[in-house]
Amino acid sequence: MPLRLLKYAFSKEHPDPAFFTQPDSLKHSYDAVIIGGGGHGLAAAYYLAKDHGITNVAVLEKGYLGGGNTGRNTTIVRSNYLTPEGVKFYDTSVRLFQELSEDLNLNLFYSTRGHFTLAHTESAMRTMRWRAEVNKHVGVESYVVGPDDILKACPQIDISCGGNAPILGALYHAPGSIARHDAVAWGYARGAYQRGVDIFQSTEVWDIKTSGGKVVGLNTSRGFIATNKVLSAVAGFTPRITDMLGIRTPIVIQPLQACVTEPMKPWLDTILVSGSLHVYVSQSSRGELVMGASLDPYELHSTRSTLDFVEGLSGHILDMFPFLSNVKVVRQWAGMADMTPDFAPIMGKTPIEGFYLDAGWGTWGFKATPVSGKTMAETIAKDQAPELIHSFRLSRFEDYELTGEKGAASVGH
Amino acid sequence: MKILHCPINGPRPISEFIFGGEYRTMPDPDTCSDKDWADYVHNRSGGPGVKKEWWYHAPSGTWIIAERDTGSDQVMATYLPNSITKEATHE
Amino acid sequence: MNRRLETRPGEWIDRDEPLKFSFEGKEYTGFSGDTITSALWASGERILGRSFKYHRPRGILSLSNHDVNILVTDMEDTNIRADVVNVKEGMRLLAVNTSGGVKKDKKRWLDRLSAFMPVGFYYKAFHSPRKLFPFWENVIRKSAGLGEVNFNYPRTIKTKYHEHCDLLIVGAGTAGLSAALHAAKCGIGITLVDENRQAGGSLTYDCAGDQESKTVLRNLLDEIKHHPNITLLTGVYAAGYYTDHYIPLVREDGITNMRAKAVVIATGAYEQPPVFRNNDLPGVMLGTAAQRLIHRYSVRPFDVGVVFTANDQGYRVALDLLEAGVEVAALVDLRKKAASPLADKLLQLNIRILKGYCIYEAIPTGDHEGVKEVVICPFDESSGKPDTGDLVTIACDGIAMCAGWAPAAALLYQAGVSMRYDNTVNQFVPNKLPKGVFAAGKVNGRFDLESRLKDGQRAASEVLSMLSETSIKVVSEPHEGNTPSHTFPFVPHPKAKNFIDFDEDIQLKDFINAAQEGFDNIELMKRFTTVGMGPSQGKHSNMNAIRILAKIRDLPVEKIGSTTARPFFHPTPIGHLAGRTFHPHRLTSLHDWHQTAQADFIAVGAWLRPAYYSIAGLSRDDAIIQEVLSVRQAVGMIDVGTLGKIEVHGPDSALFLERFYTGGFANQKIGSTRYALALDEAGVILDDGIVARLADDLFYLTASTSNSAMVYREMQRWQQKWQLDIGLVNVTGYYGAINVAGVAARKVLSKLCKASLSEQDFSFGSIIETVIAEVPARIIRVGFVSELAYEIHVASQDALTVWVALMEAGEPEKIRPFGVEAQRILRLEMGHSICGHDTDGLTNPLEAGLMFAVKPDKPFFIGQRSLQIIRKAPIRKSLVPFLLDHQDGMETPKECNLVIAQGDIAGRVTSIAFSPTLKQAIGLAYVSPELAIQGGSFLIRTDNGSLVKAIVAQTPFVTSQIGDSKK
Repeated sequence: MPLRLLKYAFSKEHPDPAFFTQPDSLKHSYDAVIIGGGGHGLAAAYYLAKDHGITNVAVLEKGYLGGGNTGRNTTIVRSNYLTPEGVKFYDTSVRLFQELSEDLNLNLFYSTRGHFTLAHTESAMRTMRWRAEVNKHVGVESYVVGPDDILKACPQIDISCGGNAPILGALYHAPGSIARHDAVAWGYARGAYQRGVDIFQSTEVWDIKTSGGKVVGLNTSRGFIATNKVLSAVAGFTPRITDMLGIRTPIVIQPLQACVTEPMKPWLDTILVSGSLHVYVSQSSRGELVMGASLDPYELHSTRSTLDFVEGLSGHILDMFPFLSNVKVVRQWAGMADMTPDFAPIMGKTPIEGFYLDAGWGTWGFKATPVSGKTMAETIAKDQAPELIHSFRLSRFEDYELTGEKGAASVGH
Repeated sequence: MKILHCPINGPRPISEFIFGGEYRTMPDPDTCSDKDWADYVHNRSGGPGVKKEWWYHAPSGTWIIAERDTGSDQVMATYLPNSITKEATHE
Repeated sequence: MNRRLETRPGEWIDRDEPLKFSFEGKEYTGFSGDTITSALWASGERILGRSFKYHRPRGILSLSNHDVNILVTDMEDTNIRADVVNVKEGMRLLAVNTSGGVKKDKKRWLDRLSAFMPVGFYYKAFHSPRKLFPFWENVIRKSAGLGEVNFNYPRTIKTKYHEHCDLLIVGAGTAGLSAALHAAKCGIGITLVDENRQAGGSLTYDCAGDQESKTVLRNLLDEIKHHPNITLLTGVYAAGYYTDHYIPLVREDGITNMRAKAVVIATGAYEQPPVFRNNDLPGVMLGTAAQRLIHRYSVRPFDVGVVFTANDQGYRVALDLLEAGVEVAALVDLRKKAASPLADKLLQLNIRILKGYCIYEAIPTGDHEGVKEVVICPFDESSGKPDTGDLVTIACDGIAMCAGWAPAAALLYQAGVSMRYDNTVNQFVPNKLPKGVFAAGKVNGRFDLESRLKDGQRAASEVLSMLSETSIKVVSEPHEGNTPSHTFPFVPHPKAKNFIDFDEDIQLKDFINAAQEGFDNIELMKRFTTVGMGPSQGKHSNMNAIRILAKIRDLPVEKIGSTTARPFFHPTPIGHLAGRTFHPHRLTSLHDWHQTAQADFIAVGAWLRPAYYSIAGLSRDDAIIQEVLSVRQAVGMIDVGTLGKIEVHGPDSALFLERFYTGGFANQKIGSTRYALALDEAGVILDDGIVARLADDLFYLTASTSNSAMVYREMQRWQQKWQLDIGLVNVTGYYGAINVAGVAARKVLSKLCKASLSEQDFSFGSIIETVIAEVPARIIRVGFVSELAYEIHVASQDALTVWVALMEAGEPEKIRPFGVEAQRILRLEMGHSICGHDTDGLTNPLEAGLMFAVKPDKPFFIGQRSLQIIRKAPIRKSLVPFLLDHQDGMETPKECNLVIAQGDIAGRVTSIAFSPTLKQAIGLAYVSPELAIQGGSFLIRTDNGSLVKAIVAQTPFVTSQIGDSKK
């Protein structure tokens, strides 16, 4: 039993202070305002305060902290992307994640379990090699493995998938991890709060005011705020914010669904993804299988669940693990994914001076939480995006310089 | 499962349809600027609201237009695309 | 100890059918109709499970699938919910999540350490030093989880049905039965489902010691039988509500997906436990659980009981207990003022009623197996505090708890119903219902028998008016009298162990501490404490959590709101959801022939195609080489029936193709063919194929196998925009196609075809319509795999005739079939790229070297405007053909190996193969423009990291063998 737990038994009152408390009212002005109290927005606030000493910052959250895609994703962290730009970016994120529990002094249950992207066809195997080669080049531990290696890591899998889609091999990505998603938001919120950032929940932004192409403030449900710097980190709600400013983006919102089974004793140690079967699955520290599939096939700004999703997913999970027939799905849910045409995010400056965008996170946002917070904090502080996110700039679409992540990210969150 | 009313085939489950994206009017490629063309090609009206959309009923090979609220998922109307004004062909 | 009562009318067990089973190694007897729990409880067992976190002993809480105190395994299946699963002869059962048995669970010491494990403790420790986390994580992972999965559990196929009905009623209790009867009079088709084995809901057990409930139920069921338009399904639960009234009804052996015109949700309410120290001891159960034991299974819940109530329900329970022979030591009523109409009846029976009192704590027996006594004291409702100066002890071996209800509103939430908090019933009730969704009974805040019956009729009358059936409008009055739910039935205790969520072992103080730490809205609190996140999904805990938070924040309950109830209503097996799974694929009409010829198949899109034909004694690679060489040296043929085939008819056909493809078709001669390239509006390559002109107003074109459906769909879409005078016909399935390729192809084909095949009459780039092997055919001179090749298109049903005829005619030339693998090598030798193989989702024709197929000065084609923009910027990569500079012992690169220049990525190999013809490795690669110089070289990094030199080459790699024609 760790010593840290002793205090709970030997103190009369619950010894832990509040993670965060909400001020009674907004200040009249802030050096920067962050829209969106999810992982990304809170991380940006944290790094603004920690790395750049900018603490006169407000985070505005329409609902509750981490209540959007931060609390709805399947918590996979990985960096085995296809483009060198993507791999470098997500690798930075993985490294930040590895230190994050200690940095935030909060156990995020960051658990490195290894990640297999299964290939059922020759063409999938080609893509795996492509990714592996780019990963290796950038120094990320990914390589193509055969069925025997998959069986060694997961002896329970039916490698023939019921004879329907035999597994030919996989891209193995050693740093692949899972984490407690809510705790990431809470940890960043606490860190920002402790450094003087104001966090407001149940606070909606109604309008962003500009003058001469520059941001001057925001109207919110708690009143007006004067500020020259606004970051939008609202994922599925991005179009509603950019519409306020007349900024056009390629983002289309599509639901992404997931579900979870009853807890069972641990048996699945790795994270498995199958592009052909549209399945990804891992076992959480609570013992539940956390499962997801591909995006819902049409635009929708809603988090409703569908039966077809869970029916299809169930069929495919049984192809891999036929013995799960009578294991029960407890709950299904959905998030709103802000998809881009090249499956890469949109980060950095915009045509409006002082308005910064952290969007286009589609199905890959959680794993980028630390690095997006860090790079967006730098962008806000210096009014200049760091090189690491140059390829993700909004103007790439106008310049016909898309990033080409499409090949790898279609499934495998 | 949601139901979509195909003007040819009647009410059908949405799994029989392929979403074809927002119905958009192409700017005149001969006169529009590069920037406007790139905007047309890449950018979308991303916010929720009633939009005209392309939907394809795959088993019968029928394109239809649906007017759908992308916030509530309510479909206001569906009809065949030829009832929309014929687009300029830029010949 | 036998707790089984004498035979009672209406009991659910069949005493003529005793069943033997074992639990934790001990033999028991139950009856057919018993659940596992009822049979064990009847036999006097108390500890039936261990809790998730602290491993506390647990017995019955709800006996109705609103908690998971009792989960067992039969060694085959796990996490079996013993409260609701019937016992079967010969079952061998164990409790899950114990270490050494449910009674002697070695992990029971965890309960004593609970002070070290307050809410969210795992976030506060184990992470530093980082190196030790994997150790702690392993400990935590192993202690979490419930049952163990059986890796040999069979994959049984569950049936899935699809049905429609006019009205689906969920819940066959008072309101549901009443709604069904009212609606049935109009003759509409009604399906009425209930998760219990028998219909009736609370009428089957909530009797208050008399026969009224059962008489009402009997009458309702008799009436139901007289309506053939009512289908009553029991043992079936509605697992969720999905858009457009689509509801999966889960049976033991499968799922029926029901589409209804209207839905009445009459799902009742979950009883909520009052919260006091040790409210989880075996023997402490909800009042309705005690009633279920008595009336359904004829089991005495305990011998001497105390009823702890905060509403009138406790009085009904007390009367049922008395009727079952239980000694009721006291009825402890948290309310000081409210008087139950049944109080007099109990007083006449000399039952002690203590008003304004609470159970301060339940004291366990020495062995912690059950209740020894309760400590009671006065309770101040306004402050929510017990007066511990006046503690009284009452001996008992069981407690029945009644504090109120939470609506079973999961399906309503999923249907998008907004709920409001109703202060007359202290419960959330539907506020605004979407069209076609109705609520009735307890879920709608109607509690008295009469008002539930009336509310069912009211809901049915609204359904009928929506369905335009004539009916008499029924109005149901809101609740009157004492509130059925208490607003704050929580008794604090310094030593805690007063549980709110039994699944997750969450106590009253956990909420207070969570709020102190800033998690003071219901969603954050849920996530931090994990209340409601266990397998019963908050059925017995969410409402209490909301009430506690309201108290902590000093806000009215409606300001706290509630969490969303996601599907599923009850956890639903993966096998049920999957049903039969389908893996559709397409086969050409030659498939059987390929199979007989030992083809090894690969999936290409939805199609199965021969990869190669295996030959005894030859390896896979050697067999493929033989196939390649037969084409180069003589003749081979391949089934290309999977190609997309589209006909464009009508006067505007050429104009349509001019716009759809990048090339020119307006002046295309009849009988000629052209390579065709399609782009999307961003200038990215979509597909390529061959366009043949058969008449002024008829074109026949091919598209690649995996893109053909998309190409046809996009053609249809553009035609809808352009409204040209054309017709599009997808003839992919109608036509089969065979490619006969190689130097001897003409010779073989001539034997079967009357038309002249001479180079003069039928040169590369032409199509003829003729007859082959007495079958009408379209033959195209193609050059994809060989300089001399013919693609023969015939009706699918004739393809086999032609194929067999060609095999025979080609026998002297040693014709042999070849598969996709040989095809890839052959086309590479010819220097052709494959769309989707050598291009990806962002490749433009400039990069792929396909500008020869683009006629940029046409008035319009899709992608034209974007190409103009792309051409203004410098090109970033080029697809080039290359040869390997072969050295001995050198590792041959593979597809997707990277091109490296100055230590950086400068491209990638998209195709590479050993050419059996050239006896050399050849390939295609994207390289940066400065490397794309004819005769220049670049480096490819192989899998093992070595750099291999490649020389930029010319295509075709193979030299002309017939000399008299060029592509």
